[in-house]
Amino acid sequence: MFNFKKNGVHVVKYRVLWMCISALLLIPGIIAMIYSMITYPTHSPVKVGIDYTGGTILQYGVQDAVSSDDLAKTREDLDNIGVTNTYLQVLNVNPTAENNNIKSIISIRTKFIDEGSDLSNQISTTIKKEYKNAELVQVSSVGPTLGNELFKMSLVALLLAIVGMVIYISFRFKLEYAIAAILGLVHDVLFVMGVFSILGIFCNVQIDGLFLTAILTLIGFSINDTIVTFDRIRENLRYYGKKMTYGEIVDASVNQTLTRSVNTSLTAFITLAALYFFGGVTTKDFVLAMMIGVVVGTYSSIFFCSMLVDFWEEKKGQPKHMAVEG
Amino acid sequence: MKNKLIMFWVIVAIVIASLITIYKKPTKLGLDLVGGSRILLEARTTDTVRTITPEVMSRLQVAIESRVNKLGVSETSVAQVGDKRLLVEIPNVTDLKEAEAYLGKTAQLEFKKPVFDANHQPKRDDKGTLMWEPTGLTGQDLKSASIGTDQTGQWTVSLEFNANGANKFAELTQQLVGQQMAIYFDNEEISAPVIREAIFGGRAEISGGSSGFQYEEAQKMVNLLNAGALPVPSEIIQENTVGPTLGSDSIEKSKFAAIIGIGFVMIFMIYAYRLPGAIADIALVVYGLILFALFKAIPVTLTLAGIAGFILSVGMAVDANILIFERTKEELKAGRNLFTAINTGFDRAFTSIFDSNMTTILTCVILYFLGTSVVKGFALTLAIGVLVSMFTAITVTKNFMHLIFGTGELKYPALFGLSKSEIGKGYEVTETKREKARFGILD
Repeated sequence: MFNFKKNGVHVVKYRVLWMCISALLLIPGIIAMIYSMITYPTHSPVKVGIDYTGGTILQYGVQDAVSSDDLAKTREDLDNIGVTNTYLQVLNVNPTAENNNIKSIISIRTKFIDEGSDLSNQISTTIKKEYKNAELVQVSSVGPTLGNELFKMSLVALLLAIVGMVIYISFRFKLEYAIAAILGLVHDVLFVMGVFSILGIFCNVQIDGLFLTAILTLIGFSINDTIVTFDRIRENLRYYGKKMTYGEIVDASVNQTLTRSVNTSLTAFITLAALYFFGGVTTKDFVLAMMIGVVVGTYSSIFFCSMLVDFWEEKKGQPKHMAVEG
Repeated sequence: MKNKLIMFWVIVAIVIASLITIYKKPTKLGLDLVGGSRILLEARTTDTVRTITPEVMSRLQVAIESRVNKLGVSETSVAQVGDKRLLVEIPNVTDLKEAEAYLGKTAQLEFKKPVFDANHQPKRDDKGTLMWEPTGLTGQDLKSASIGTDQTGQWTVSLEFNANGANKFAELTQQLVGQQMAIYFDNEEISAPVIREAIFGGRAEISGGSSGFQYEEAQKMVNLLNAGALPVPSEIIQENTVGPTLGSDSIEKSKFAAIIGIGFVMIFMIYAYRLPGAIADIALVVYGLILFALFKAIPVTLTLAGIAGFILSVGMAVDANILIFERTKEELKAGRNLFTAINTGFDRAFTSIFDSNMTTILTCVILYFLGTSVVKGFALTLAIGVLVSMFTAITVTKNFMHLIFGTGELKYPALFGLSKSEIGKGYEVTETKREKARFGILD
């Protein structure tokens, strides 16, 4: 149904165009990341949330049971006064005379807020308006749950996983394919991080512990997509390797797998879009990161990775003729 | 045809087994999805550690973290609160006793040596029991204890000391070769192993003597040692059950959204691939059931990261079918007959499914063994998901395709979403005996 074959895409012919598009996609994000690394106190390329920085927990005791709808309303009210990206949880307590018959505690984990500051008073007003007899029972500062150590460990694991991918793809295909696939991943991850860096600067979007998961998912998706395209190139090389040039084979392979690439991405995108539009607030950014990832991952495996493979193969072919002249 | 039917009933049996597992076993959900216990721990000073410094706190945090997150996938959360408190959140645990068991007893661990008399013989008290004196080696020096086995398959307790502890332990064992050393937990002797040789490098093993340890015995000792491996004792000062970190409001909405999303995908598959699309949808349901049953049986604590891995594996399962059907359509358009087209679809798509899935599984294995808890949860569910999808998206779909199209009666191009003009003449060609045999129609 998504039949591009009549016109076809020309990966090889418009190589310069695809390179320019990739550059255009990446440059704003990279600038934003550099800007962020210079200006943020955390020196991180994206704005990090309380999972990484720590923050304040405010606990309010209330005498009623708190429903999911109540929580949703509280979350919205807090958003309106600028308390965003909070962890909003309900603690159940045994009501006794000693604790003023408190039945539930609403726990708000958010950025650093000083007790007695304007913002903390605003939060108290908001909570007290919504729950009668609410009282602030505890304010404490809380450290990061995703400290530097944990984050570094995850990154090391990820780097080693990428080394594993390079070895496997080199073994099943060729080293050039492996490098192209990894560059595709770098392309995709940089783009998504760039978007979130820009969102951080302009819309105050902070990344939380889930962002890492989104990046992992994007990597899994992108590598899967790329390998399918490479597999077709490998197959076509076997059958048409002598009759067609490398560029023609790459173009043909990309076009043959195009419908599949678009359809697969579309199914992933449909699920994510449903989660984005109908799902919970707390996972919106996570889903958004994956949605952007799916789109850019599809773009990179169709245009970016195959173009790189063709570029290198052609370069390898050329020196034989050029060497005589040079 | 016989083999196909046997396979069909095997699939049915697997589905029934999955349904029973799903019905019988509880689902384990993580802190982010279901909540659990929130425990506030406070560090206590001891004779040796008089002040709680940030350094002590960060060591305590690491020690507590490793204890509550034994399996590595339950996504517990440990954060420092104020100067000397830790906020620990453990999923699913809603009872204080259970939480305490999780955290283990927090107490003083000491290694003691015998008191020697003038003749360098161990002194005994009036009752004839050995007398012990402190060595300066305490729980602070112990990094961790774990259960292991020796060459004969007996259970042992392995100790690992930190750098400081390794030096002290080496010195001590040099002095005490052939003698006993006692491990005291809260001033109670829990073990008095004989030191066979000087031990350098900070790793030691305690075997259970000639009779060996029972597993429970060794496990109990490991728990006690780990409890004592805390730099300072800590005490539970507050305990509450707590709702999910992602907010119960958000989770209810997301459940609804996920159902809509999957519904749309299924409709899309039928729209794009017609009858094979419907078959893929059935395979997807089978996939969901098997996976859910496995998650319950293993059990895997599902967190949002785990669910992300699951969603990605669903995507890959759908992708496998899209690959196969696209290829089948392509072969039909190229003029192959129906049987050849279906089989070629599976054969040709297999290499790309295999290579992409192998890359994913390899990545998951590395992430699982090296990653932190969030990464581990993701890697585990994705790897299980991909393995199951290889079965459902290929074996199950193929079986159903063969059973349905194998009768040779359903020969309408529209069933594949193709028009008569799009397909070659091959579609009308009657299959040869060889092709039928390959298809499994002939016995």
